[in-house]
Parts: sequence; C-alpha cells; structure tokens
Amino acid sequence: MNNGDTHRNGDGVSLPTVDGGNGTPGDTSRRDFLKVLGVAGAGAAAASCGPPDMGDKLIPYLVPPEDIVPGTNVSYATILTEAGGPEPLGIHATVRDGRVIKLEGNPRFPNRGRLSALAQSALQDLYDPDRIQGPRVRDGNGFTDTDWDAAIAALAGAIVPGRTVLLTSPQTGSSAEFYAAWADAVGAEWMAWEPLGYEALSSAYEIAFGIPGMPQYEINRADRIVSFGADFLGSWLSPVEFGARFLESRRIEQGRQAKFTVVAPRLSLTGLNADEWMAARPGTEAAVALALAGEVARAKGGEAASRLSGPLAQFTPEAVAERAGIPADKIVRLADDLASAQNPIILPPDVSGQDGATTETHLAVALLNYACGAIGSTVRPGEGPMRGESVSAEQMRGLVGRMESGSIETIIVAGANPVYGVPKSLGFAAAFAGVDNRISLNSHLDETAAACDLLLPSNHELESWGDAEIRPGIWAVAQPVMRPIFDTRQREDLLLASAALGGESPFEAADWKSWLETSWRASFEAESEGATSFEDFWFVMLQAGAVRRAQSGVDPNPTLRAGALERAFQLPEPIEGFKLTTYAPAQFYDGRGANRSWMQELPDAVSKAVWNSWVEIHPETAGPLGLETGDLVEIRTSAGSLTAPAFLYEGIHPDAIAIPLGQGHTEFGRTAKSRGVNALDLLDGSVDPQSGALAFSGVAAELTAVGERGRLVILQGNDTDLDREIGEMMQVDDALEKIGGHQVDLRQILETAWDSDPKSPYRWGMAIDLNACTGCGACVTACYAENNIPTVGEDLCNQGREMSWMQIMRYFEETEDDGFQTVHVPVLCQQCGDAPCEPVCPVYAAYHTPEGLNAQVYNRCVGTRYCANNCPYKVRRFNWFTYEQPYPLDLQLNPDVTVRQTGVMEKCTFCVQRINRAKLDAKDEGRHVQDGEIQTACMQTCPTQAIVFGNLKDPASAVSRVAKGARAYHMLGELNTRPAITYLAGVSHAPLAHGGHGEHADEGHEEAGSATDDHGAADDAGH
Amino acid sequence: MATAEIDVPAEALPTLAQANDDISRPIYPPSWRYYLLLAICGIGILAGGTAWAIQIRNGIGMTGINNPVSWGVYIVTFVFWVGIAHSGTLISAVLYLVRSGWRTTINRAAEAMTIFAVMTAGLFPLIHLGRVWYFYYLVPYPSTRLLWPNFRSPLVWDMFAIGTYFTISLVFWYLGLIPDLAVLRDKFTGIKKKLYGAFSLGWTGSVRDWAHYRRLYLYLAGIATPLVLSVHSVVSWDFAMGIVPGWHSTIFAPYFVAGAIFSGIAMVITIMIPLRWAFGLEKYITKYHFDNMSKLLLFTSLIVGYAYAIEFFLAWWVNDPIEKESFGWRATGYYALPFWIMVFCNVVVPMSLWFKRTRNNLAALFVVTIFVNIGMWYERFVIIVTSLAHEFEPGGWGIYVPTTTEILIMIGSFAWFFFWFLLFSRTLPVISIAEVKEHLAHEHEHGH
Repeated sequence: MNNGDTHRNGDGVSLPTVDGGNGTPGDTSRRDFLKVLGVAGAGAAAASCGPPDMGDKLIPYLVPPEDIVPGTNVSYATILTEAGGPEPLGIHATVRDGRVIKLEGNPRFPNRGRLSALAQSALQDLYDPDRIQGPRVRDGNGFTDTDWDAAIAALAGAIVPGRTVLLTSPQTGSSAEFYAAWADAVGAEWMAWEPLGYEALSSAYEIAFGIPGMPQYEINRADRIVSFGADFLGSWLSPVEFGARFLESRRIEQGRQAKFTVVAPRLSLTGLNADEWMAARPGTEAAVALALAGEVARAKGGEAASRLSGPLAQFTPEAVAERAGIPADKIVRLADDLASAQNPIILPPDVSGQDGATTETHLAVALLNYACGAIGSTVRPGEGPMRGESVSAEQMRGLVGRMESGSIETIIVAGANPVYGVPKSLGFAAAFAGVDNRISLNSHLDETAAACDLLLPSNHELESWGDAEIRPGIWAVAQPVMRPIFDTRQREDLLLASAALGGESPFEAADWKSWLETSWRASFEAESEGATSFEDFWFVMLQAGAVRRAQSGVDPNPTLRAGALERAFQLPEPIEGFKLTTYAPAQFYDGRGANRSWMQELPDAVSKAVWNSWVEIHPETAGPLGLETGDLVEIRTSAGSLTAPAFLYEGIHPDAIAIPLGQGHTEFGRTAKSRGVNALDLLDGSVDPQSGALAFSGVAAELTAVGERGRLVILQGNDTDLDREIGEMMQVDDALEKIGGHQVDLRQILETAWDSDPKSPYRWGMAIDLNACTGCGACVTACYAENNIPTVGEDLCNQGREMSWMQIMRYFEETEDDGFQTVHVPVLCQQCGDAPCEPVCPVYAAYHTPEGLNAQVYNRCVGTRYCANNCPYKVRRFNWFTYEQPYPLDLQLNPDVTVRQTGVMEKCTFCVQRINRAKLDAKDEGRHVQDGEIQTACMQTCPTQAIVFGNLKDPASAVSRVAKGARAYHMLGELNTRPAITYLAGVSHAPLAHGGHGEHADEGHEEAGSATDDHGAADDAGH
Repeated sequence: MATAEIDVPAEALPTLAQANDDISRPIYPPSWRYYLLLAICGIGILAGGTAWAIQIRNGIGMTGINNPVSWGVYIVTFVFWVGIAHSGTLISAVLYLVRSGWRTTINRAAEAMTIFAVMTAGLFPLIHLGRVWYFYYLVPYPSTRLLWPNFRSPLVWDMFAIGTYFTISLVFWYLGLIPDLAVLRDKFTGIKKKLYGAFSLGWTGSVRDWAHYRRLYLYLAGIATPLVLSVHSVVSWDFAMGIVPGWHSTIFAPYFVAGAIFSGIAMVITIMIPLRWAFGLEKYITKYHFDNMSKLLLFTSLIVGYAYAIEFFLAWWVNDPIEKESFGWRATGYYALPFWIMVFCNVVVPMSLWFKRTRNNLAALFVVTIFVNIGMWYERFVIIVTSLAHEFEPGGWGIYVPTTTEILIMIGSFAWFFFWFLLFSRTLPVISIAEVKEHLAHEHEHGH
C-alpha cells in the first residue's frame, strides 16, 4: 500500500525536472499556461513599465517591450514565502501594464492553484503605503532620509566581527546558503527566527523516529481524522494544501466522508468543521492521546501493542477521563473507531495547545499515530514542508541575555519582527534598545524597524529574486513580478554590498541574482547530464515556478525508537482557575496580516468580528460574571494584564479563555497600529524544556469583568439560520442514501424566459458545496482584490456598511447530543432568474442580462436602494461615501472593473469582466466559451474547491453536473427567486437535531413523507 | 348632515360684510409674532438645507441607514407627509360630493395643508437619493439613449401618483380661491389689487360665472375623489410590492389610506385650533366642526387599530415562520419602544374621543392630535425600519439608528411646511369666504 509510487504522487504536483522534463501543467487550462511567462535575463523587472507614477501623460512606447500588450494581463510564476502565511505558496502574479493586480495560486505547487485569504492580501503588503520608502537614518524620535551609499556604508561600518547578529526569518534553498556564507565571511552570527515555530513537532519526531522536521500529513487518504487542536485549515503548517487534502477525504459523492473529531479545549476554524468535539480540559491532550494509543494498540495487537502497553499502563480511559473531562466511554469509542479505520490520521496541537510540555503532547500524538499504523502511511516523517533552521524561544532568551551583557554590538534584522513577536516577558524589546547598532533591512516600518537607527528597506518579495526548497526535492524560484515601487533594494544585494565595502568582496557574485544563477548553474551541470542548455532550463523553471530535484532519501517506514517510550509521561495535574490559550487566526497569522485592511475587515471565521481583538469565553463561565459579547473583560496573568471585549463562544472549554494573536501593534502602519491587544503580553515566557518552544497556552489567568461595554464589531446578525433553508446540513447516512438514489435537478426551474434569453448559449451559474467549504475566507479576500471592493474601517463596519460582495455566514445548529455543528455558507448574489431586485429599480440600473446575470449598471444607478431592501439574500452593497485608496494601494485596482463612487449600489456579478474576456477570446476564435475557461475569483482561490462556476445551459458542464447532486438546494427556495447558485447541503456525522434537514434537497420531487414537517409546507409555496 | 348648521347662536351670526372683513383681516399687516414664527421656520429650513448640502457633498453615509435597513427617516417622513396631504382632498372633494356642509370653514386650510404637505413630501425622495444630481433619470424624458424609467417599479408609479395628486389638488384649491381673490381684489388698492386681480381671472360674480364655477368645481371634486384612494394605495405599494416580511401584504392599500386620513385629520385639527385662536375665527370654525372631525379621527383610529391587529393575526394564522418571527420581533425586539409608542398614540389615546367632553374640549383635542401626529410618524418608522432590520437572511440582520443629519432634515421639513402655511395664512383667506357667505345667506334667510 505504501509503495514509492503513491508516495511520489502524494504531493499532487507536476513539475519540470532538472534533467529537462517539462512536467505537465496540473489542471491549468492551455490558455492559462501560455499566459504564464518565463522571463529570462533581465526578467519582469525590465519589462515592467516603470515606477508607479504614471502621471497624467500617456506616452506610447517607441520600441514596445516584448512581453507587454497594453490592456492585457500577463502572469508571472513566483512564490510567496513570507507575506502569504505559514506555508510557501506557488503563485501566478497577474500583471497589467507593469503592476501586479492579482495573485492566483500556481497549479503546479502543493497549494494546487489555490491561495489563502492571507496570501491573497499579500498585494496590500506590497502596496502598503506605510512601507519604508527609501533608506532612512534615525533623527531624534523619527527618521530622516539618507542616500543608499551612505546607508550601505553605515551598514558595512556597523558589522563588527564576532559581535554581530543577523536575524532573519527561516530560510531554505540558496537563500539559506547565502545567509550562512555571508555571516561566515563577515564574522557575523546568523539566526533565523519565527514566532510560531514548529520546534516541538520537529523535536517529537526526532525523539520518536529519529527524523527531525515536519512530517507530511496525507489527510486526503484518511478515512478517520482526529485533531488535537491543529488549525490545519486556517493557520497551521500548510493550510492551503491541507484544504485540498481535507476535501479529498470528504468527497461524499464518491462514498468518502472521513469522520473528523477534535480533541482540544477550543474549536478553531478547523474545529468548526469537525463532526465531533471532545472538549478536553486545557493541558490534558497528551493524556487523552496516550489513553487512545493504549486502547488502539490493545485492540490492534501486534508490535505496537507489545511496545506501548507497558509504558502507557497508567493511562486508562477511566483515569484520563476524570482529568480531561471527557467521558471514558467516548474515549473508548474513539479508540475503537481509530483501531477499525483503514487509514486513520491524527494531527497534533498547534500554538493554541502549546504549553510548557508541548513536546510530550506531540510525542503522545506521534505514539497514537504509531499505534494506529499511520506512521509511514498517512503520516510521513521528514517528508513535510521544509521550514529551514530556526531558533527557539529558549535561544531567543539566550540572545536577550547576550544583548543585555553587551556582548552584541550590532543587530541586523532582515525579515523578522522580534520586538513585536517575542513576548514582553522575555525582555527582547528592552534588551534590543540597549544594543549599539540596530539596523533594519525590513521592508515595513514594523516594531523592530521602528526601534532601529538605520533603515535599509529591502524589496518586497514580489519585487525580489530568490528560491526556496519547499518540500524535500521541490525547489521553487521567486522572480520579481514588477519593478520596486519604492526606493528599495534586494535584501541580499544590500548584504553583498556591505560585505564588499570593507575592501575586496569575499564573494564572486556581484549581486544576488548572479549568485542565484551561478548556484543554479552549478546544480544544473551536476544533475542534468547535459540534456538541455541551462538557459532553456532556467526559462522553463521560471515559467513553471518550481522544479523537482533528486531528494535525499528518508526512510519511508521508520521504526519507533525506544527513547520515545522512556519518557516519563505523567497524568496531568487537576487544574484550577482559567488557562489562557492564544491562537493564530487565519487572517493575521503571527501578526503579519495586521496592516492589511482586507485582513482587518475579513470577518474572523469563529467570531465573525473585525478590526479588533476579543476574548473567547464559554457562556457558562461568562454567566456568573454577568458578561455578554462585547463587554470588556480584564485578563490578568503573572506577566501582565490586558482588557478586551468578550466574545461568548460555545466552542471553548469552560476552563479556558482564548485570545487571537496578531493584533495590538504599536507600529507597523496606520491600519495595524493601536488596534486590539497583543496577547503575547500575557505570556509568562515559560518554554517547553525539550524543544525550547514558547508556551503560547496553559498560562494561568484571572478573568474580571470591567463593567463597561467595549466595541466588538461582528458582521453577522444572527448565529443560526432559524431553519430557513439557508445553511442546510444532512446526516451522512441520509446523504449517502440520497446520493445512491435519485438525482435532483434544480436546473429545470431555470429554463424559463425570465432567467436568460432562450437564444443565448449561456446561463451562468454556480454550485457551492457546503460540505467542502471550511469558512477560511479566501474567496472573500479574492473578491476584494478582483473587484476593487473598498474596505471601510471599524466605524463604518459597526454601522453595518461593510462592502463585501461575498460573506461567509457561520451558522450553528444544535445536535441531539447537546453539541452543535457549524455550517459555513458563502452568501453572494444568487443571480436570480426572477430577481426581486430588478423590477423595483426605477431606472433599470438593476437589469437582467441575456445570460441570466443580475447586472448592475453603476452609471445608471441613482441610489434609491430599493433593490437592496428587496434582496432576500442581503448581498447588495451601497457606497455610502466615496472610498479612496491611499497611494500606492490604488495601483492594485483592477482596470477591468469600475471603481464606484458614492451613492451607487454594487454587487457580485460572477466576475463579469472575466466572463466578457473569455467571451471575447472565444469570439475571436469563432467558438463558444468552453467549460472551465472562466473561473470567478472566489472559485479560483478556494482551497477546498467548494465553488464551481460555469454554464448551466451546457448539460455537460461541471456546474450542471454538480448542481444535479442529491444534496442540491436553493437558498430560501420557497421564495421562488430561481437562483443561479445551487448549494449542496453540508454533511455531518453528528446526530443533527432537526430530522427534517435535507428535506429541501427533495425540492421538485414528490416523495411521500417529505412534506410532513413545517418545511414541507413552506416548500409547497415555492413550487 | 344635509342641512348643515353652524353651531352659533343666530343673533351672533355675522353679516355678509362682516364675514368679508373677519376672514380677510389676517391679510392686513401682521404683528411681530408672525415674523418671529416666520423667522423660526426660516432657521429650521436653513438648518435642514445645510444638513442636506453636507449630505450631498459627503454621501448618504451621513445618515444612519446601512446594509439591511436601506430606508430610514427620510422615507418615514416622506410617507408621513404624504399621509398628512390626504385630508385636504378628502374634506374638499369627498365631503363636497356628499354635501357635508360642515367642511365649509375648514376646506381651504385643509387644501392648503395638502399642497404644502405634498411639497414637503416630494423633497424626501430626492433627499434620500444616493446621487440626487441624476434625479432626472426617474423622469420619462426622451433621452438620446432611448432609456425610459422602469414602469414596473413602484417608485415610478409613486412619482406619477403624487405628481397627479399635486396637480389636481393645486388646481382644485386655486379654483376655490377665485371668488375669494376677487373679494380681496375689491378690498385692496395698488399692487395688491393688481396681483389679486390678476389671479382672480376677471371674476365678476355674475350668475354665468357662478354657473361655470360650480360646474367645474363639481367635476374637479369628482376627479379628485379617486385620488384619495389611489395616492396612498400607490405609496403603500412601495412597500407591499416588495417581498420584505412585514411589507408584503394585501392589506397595505386600505391600511395606508385609513392611516393617511387619520393623520391628515389630526394635522388639520392641530393646525386649526391655534389658527382659529390667532385669527379670531371662533365664529366661523366652531365646536361643531371639531366634533365632526373628531368623529372622523376616532373612526379612522379604529380602522388603523384593526389593521395593526390583523397584521399580527395574519402572521399567526398563515403560520409562515419568517413572517411570525418578524412580527414577534417587531413587538418585542430592539424596536419594541417605537412599536408601543405607535400603539399607544394611534389606538389608545384616540379612544378618549368616544367622550363628547373630549371632543368639545379644544385643549384636550389638541393634545390628542399631537399624539396622533407622533404616533403616525412612528407607525411608518415601525413598518419601514423593523421590517427591513429582520428580513429573510438572519445573518444579515442589523439595527438602524438615525443620525443628526436625518433629524435636522426632518425638522427642516416641518419648518418648510409651516413656512409655507404661514405665508398662506397672511396672503389668502384661510376660510372660503364665498362658501361661508353662501351658508350665512342661507342662515339669514331661514334662521329669522
């Protein structure tokens, strides 16, 4: 089963190889593939039409550059390693007239052409008006401009051999070689640090199997998923890739629906997608994992049983049940499930479960995976994402000590923000202020840069060359997709220049790009066996974005080391009081997303709150304190205290309180500054002794009500859909039965003259699978980027004036076992066949196109807003003011989409600009638009492929086929608006309280018994 | 009713000449109090106008309206003023056709009120437009782009309904004024004589004049009568044609018409009581008139109360969960206070009119009508805002709170209305001299 072949294909990527193979371009269409340009030589930088100030004169090119056709998009393949979140992502950057306007995923990468919300917002990172716009030097409390020569000379002069530290983010590939070589040459010490590291996970796998690094989690092959808290669809390890993998494990139409259980004190974005939640007390995850491991091993017998039964003897379900607050029979039942599953997978905790003994927890989970037989099967040690070496919190503490003792004279920070990201209790900021030379190569004026004396801003990664080894054997290259927008330089060039300034350059390469090419040329010559020329290879690689190289062998079936069982696992002590949990929300991750207004205005997947921090408290805990959502609470730990509004949340253990990370910046720009609280201030700086990882959780905390209302803006009116046929869910057995039975074809009701012109070959439609939607919000941000949607800020959000054309409603449903299930419903314009918005418009601004779209003619709209009143889905958005984008954010605006002025109603039109482009292309070629040729922005980025778009009049189109599914229903179908969007009901293993659920899927069918409940009666009105 | 009598002792009956003098007296140079009132109204208009100007410059965001609640105080106040405009036609045309003589002393003021109320109401659809500078898109003009307004939209019907109503009301009012303008022409000299003379269209008071006049007046009354039903029915369809729970109901047209008459009569009484006092018209507008108007008020209050009840009954009886939720929330949710203010003002307070003592006590009557005016504004607020705030998609629910801009513009609209009314009261006879004299002649003949 676990032969090399399945494993080789397990990463789902098709890439060129060094020996000249071209690879096949994933699921990209031919057109997309051709549009992605590989740029040799001077590359995109030269081809881009120059600095952003395009002024008020348009001067035609005398000699037009080869790559640029005015008014046409071109794409460049590159990677996001910093701005996109936890994982390196392959992207296609869409460039129009020299500026990048949109990012899409690269289908050849493990992210399979998809991107997260955070990665979509990397454009706002690039065009951030608060970036450092040129070299600066400290002048009193502020900075004053300087020139590059002086700045580089100052940098070179500050490098004191043996007393200099270069602090970067973790690096792989040639960058890692470069930094090591540079540090070596100038006598500096290179430290790579990342705030949300994976030291404990790596450490546990080294102890257990002797293989450090990340395991590969093949969730796609699993038939039973258990997570001890990892937010693997939001912010843990590689959420975009996991999204695609998770989807594969739950393709119910193919008979697969892996049951997913979460054992953790809090339900994260990922947790809300679970079928079952065992609310473990904080700090008891390891004990539960060990109890499960013991039970599973006993049930399965064999080697695992003999090795585990002894060491785990004290972890009986009964003993653990009491401590963890989970009934013993539930633990036993879960163990039975795992033992009988073919391909179970167990995921560890993330920072939200990272306490002072987190290596033990990771090890316990590794043992459970081992007991289940998952190691080497669904969990592959050492084959996961490459992170690069990084220092732990414990080593940072050491650095602080050295700074305090004065043994460090110079710190050069390049791509790291430790002043914000290291908890106050570790004293980094204070010690840093005492260092003589503080130099920043960061591109943003973040907390660390603001604490430096010399700023040498480097290019954004979208303006930079680079490479990265993203997986063992997969090397990706980064190329600049446009000329630097500000007066910035390539980071590596700055270091090279500073090294050369002291006299003879210790390096052969004059600049980073030639270093990179030289390094690749050497590898090519060593590995290619002369199949093609290097120039050809380089071109192909830039076009593909990555290349597959021979990988060092990792034992595919590692054995459990004896040392793992010698650890003194302890039953957890009973806890008193509250335990604080911090977690990384998908929109901010470690805080890097905080200065992007798209991220601030993206409703959090759990709380649906925007522009703030909040404290998640269980209603049982909040009740005695008289707290309601929005009331201010004070959280106090031994390290400090902070005040934030409460968010009452059923998905957190009553003994735990949770605060999202990433807010509370003191610098970093106008959007992030002084917004929310920095939860790191509450951490006492304790670390896991084994791995040195910081304890982000498990800190004892006190909770007091302040007695005042705070302001927490929540962009969702009600937490349940009141059973109104909006977010439907079905039990898995019902779903399987229905799928096996008849098909529902909701398209039949679309075939009337109202819906689209009978002569038109198209009726655009969409299908959204709620079983696939995880609520991550990538679609929402992609929509902002594609359609020039303005962000409006906290005050206007508070007044209900957010402009999002697409919103993900998070609806809770009770289950019969007193738990709850969540269904995430992306709500966007339904492009109704019989649209209530259209007839009420007095001026025909809302009108029906021959292709069935509810178009909105912005130039015609006078702003009566009747259409918005009459829209039952509430997806129309009004421009209450004229919203302006500060320069250079306006450069991101999509020239294909009108920028709306005040007083105009706007809405989703299925990315009509993309539809029109495809139709024009098709017309040029004398054909109809092919299925799959048009992807809406939301569909294109969705990590779980929950959205399918296409032509409903073509019975063979993907959307027609999906919309025929047994789970299909129309939102608020009883209104008979004949929406073009078909939703597929979510599927859950949980015992849903409403037996009537899924009945809506019977719409249009006469089935005895289906009309016996209230819904049935309501349905009748709609038929 | 056919033999209408003015409820004053026969010996107190003024002579015809006295009537001329009494009724036209206010037109002589007014006191400082009048100018003070006029100035107050002017300041109000200025405040509202400034607020509007700022709103045009900055955007509709100056209001409190938002995502689910796209219509707020502007539309509430629009419907309020359209409602006020109703009693004029009812009193003039309908009571004229059914020969209710008691209308005689109040119809002129009621008609003027109608015209000014429509002029006030007509501002609000403009004020509420997102891009008011393109308001002409709503007008069916021969555009070079061959674009017409969307005749399926209730907003377009609305524009036509109100436009028609305004035109007919204005013509009807003006026609009634012609004999009185002639009286004024004869009383004044100089520029005033010329102006009144020009507008009296050469009226001589001949039998031939009167015959034509009476015939035309009758026809216009006939044309105006259906408008009493149509205008507010069409306004109600702005809501009833929408699918919003709480709007989408067949009872809306009669419900709104009754509400409009209710509010219109209340406003007539509210204005007439101080007017009668200020101009010394006690002899002409008597308790008899107020008693009749109070009865009409009571009757329409009962209809409105019934409509409130039947909306809830229907929601319960139809058993549509969405409708039930919406109405439950209306009475108990965030906007419960406006709802209960509405019920108290429109249903509870008018019940005092069952008692003759209340009907004949002008102070009490004044207080009751003030309550009704407030209540009817809240009725429109409750219908418009609470329905929009709790629609189909629970995730999209939201709350609306008016802002200063909206309040200023609403106050400005009252100032605008009273400004016109004040001008009217000092330039034209507030009571129809001709009709009063007709009645007096009748009384003098038969009373002695």
